Amino acid sequence: MDILFSSLAAGILFGMALSLVALGLTIIFGVMDIINFAHGEFLMIGMYTGLLTAQAFGIDPLLTLPVAAAVGFLLGIVCYLGFIKFLLRGPMIAQLLGTFGLMLFLRNLALLIFGPNDRALHKGILVGKSFDIGLGIVIPATKLATAGLSLAAFGAVWLLMNRTRIGKALTATALNPQGARYMGIPTERMNALAWGIGGASVTVAGALIVNFWSVNPYIGLLFTMLAFAIVALGGFGSVPGAFFAGIVVGLITELPGFWDFVAYTFEFDWMSDVPMTSFKYMWVYVAYFVIMVVRPRGLFGWKH
Amino acid sequence: MKRIARFTSLCVVLVVVAALVLPTGARAEKEIKIGVLYPLTGGAAAAGRELRDGAELAAEIANTAMADINMTMAQNAGIQSMGGAKITLIFKDHEGNPTLGADLAKKLILDDKVDGLLGCYHSSVTKTVSAVAEQYGVPMINGSSTSPSLTERGLKWFWRTTPHDTWFTKDLFELLKGLTEGQAKGVKAVSQKDIVNLASACEKTEWGSFVSELIEQFSKEYGFDLKKSLLYAKEAPDLSSEVRSLKASRADVLLFASYTSDAILMIKTLKAQKIQPKIIWGQDAGFETPEFQQTMGEDIVGILTRTVFLPQVVKVKPVAGQVNKLYKAKTGNDLSGASARSFTGLQTWVYILEKAGSTKPADIQAAANAIEIPGDQLVVPWAGIKFSTSGKEIGQNVLGSGLIGQYQKGSDGTVGLEIVYPFDVATTDMIYPFPKW
Repeated sequence: MDILFSSLAAGILFGMALSLVALGLTIIFGVMDIINFAHGEFLMIGMYTGLLTAQAFGIDPLLTLPVAAAVGFLLGIVCYLGFIKFLLRGPMIAQLLGTFGLMLFLRNLALLIFGPNDRALHKGILVGKSFDIGLGIVIPATKLATAGLSLAAFGAVWLLMNRTRIGKALTATALNPQGARYMGIPTERMNALAWGIGGASVTVAGALIVNFWSVNPYIGLLFTMLAFAIVALGGFGSVPGAFFAGIVVGLITELPGFWDFVAYTFEFDWMSDVPMTSFKYMWVYVAYFVIMVVRPRGLFGWKH
Repeated sequence: MKRIARFTSLCVVLVVVAALVLPTGARAEKEIKIGVLYPLTGGAAAAGRELRDGAELAAEIANTAMADINMTMAQNAGIQSMGGAKITLIFKDHEGNPTLGADLAKKLILDDKVDGLLGCYHSSVTKTVSAVAEQYGVPMINGSSTSPSLTERGLKWFWRTTPHDTWFTKDLFELLKGLTEGQAKGVKAVSQKDIVNLASACEKTEWGSFVSELIEQFSKEYGFDLKKSLLYAKEAPDLSSEVRSLKASRADVLLFASYTSDAILMIKTLKAQKIQPKIIWGQDAGFETPEFQQTMGEDIVGILTRTVFLPQVVKVKPVAGQVNKLYKAKTGNDLSGASARSFTGLQTWVYILEKAGSTKPADIQAAANAIEIPGDQLVVPWAGIKFSTSGKEIGQNVLGSGLIGQYQKGSDGTVGLEIVYPFDVATTDMIYPFPKW
């Protein structure tokens, strides 16, 4: 029984962290119809920002979140104004290959600056702490904090999009850029803002995740793929969709735990011999594939 | 006149040619190039640095006369049978990548024209590199890869000095059996049912997956119940679902085969999940790197790891103490299983070259197959080095043996490894069960 509850809890918490990773991708896609292949690299930069700021100033990694947000916001805006803006004039394929190039550039830049070795945080208020809340559920403090901040970030973005003039302007830019321009909305600035918010949300996610994951320059791809799966499941451009799909994906990565639960509860010996943990990410892409075939606009898709 | 001029110029040319050619031809000191492949970056970089330091120290001792070290290779400068030829090491970084390792081995053989190879730590990399060595007929000595299959391929140019995982895993089960029989120092006989349930998590390349199979095989043989055996990627940034799976198995004994960064992550996650087994055992590698000890601090007290060298060996082997002193002066760390074995690997190269008296591959091959290095020459606590030349295993040192160490807190407050197996050389009481986190 323990394994069922602990896997459920772990899946939901990790899922909320993944939602935050996917949030930036869905905002950028929602506003501009651009798929940012470099999304995972933004996350990697967020992870390094958190790690290095904490180590350089000897402060707790949680206090580096504002730094990571600022770095991500600037990175997003610089990428947009210095690079993406020009890509928009080209055909779709140029945009795809452009962000792909940006991914390679950022990854290799990180390789040059930080070297290929894994780095991890070993100190911090939350690092290594956990709460035993009964039923076999042990929750690491770092994951709980990440989930909480993810919830807060989603709330903030939801409020921004639905309750403010800027949000309305962003939505208008998303729905019909030309119409928005006629209405006097500075669409160019809205696009830059979308990149800024997208960048900040993912670097914050990175600075949180580095509390419990190690980082190296290649880490981005795994998260880019997971974020794609989440955005596809949730519906391209949908903010609530990203949140729920993130949790679904988090639970899918815990499938080995549920498998173990069935194996031990019903004492199916053959089941405990199946190496499920080795394939935990595979099921995410199976779900991605199924949703693409059955419901291409995703669970909460609102845009075509 | 013309003739004389021509004659004189010919003479001048001859003299110049002689001046250029003769000194190299007649120079007493020849250079012997050994290509060394280790993981100097990537997840096992910490181990790679130790391996490099160990091999470098062995080369220094071979190349210079050091009278205060009781090894024959320390008594002279260079290889005596080749007129004092010096050993030059050419290091390459394979990053733990088998494909890259094979490419680098080709480069070393074709471009650097090395006389032999040493390496590669990861069994998966040793596998591909030894295949390249075999293809080109270049001798290769392996000091630290422990997958049993490496010496079961009938290779003619590959010799392994370290004992392999079949020995080490058997040692572990002998230790468990000894615990139930009350043989462990300072521990009363443990009831078999307290430690009968095992679970293992091994990294999934060549080395770890073989260890996983061995654990399965030996647990049947010794009558233990292996509840769960997992394989995971050594690059994994998160192991929490693996750890939850181990927890669900309710095993009393957790067994691991991990490289450095994953060993650290595994133990951190075990602690965060508050898992309380009775025994934690690591198959060397990550579990005995200085990085593991420095990062984890006192959290590792009670963890067992198999190894071939512990600082405690110094107490029983004076020559290990002499080498350890030099190593500590060079690196600031004590010799470990990694550095002691790379040292021994290069030392074996030196003795083989001394015996061969040339760098011709065929001579080296004959010398390696015939060599017998007595145990008192070695820093590791083995009976010696002698390679098998027939039977199922070819090129395997048959005189090696392993130890099982346990991290304990010394009287000075530092955490270090003490010998708990073999029982007759145990340096201290074993901690059982594993202390609460």
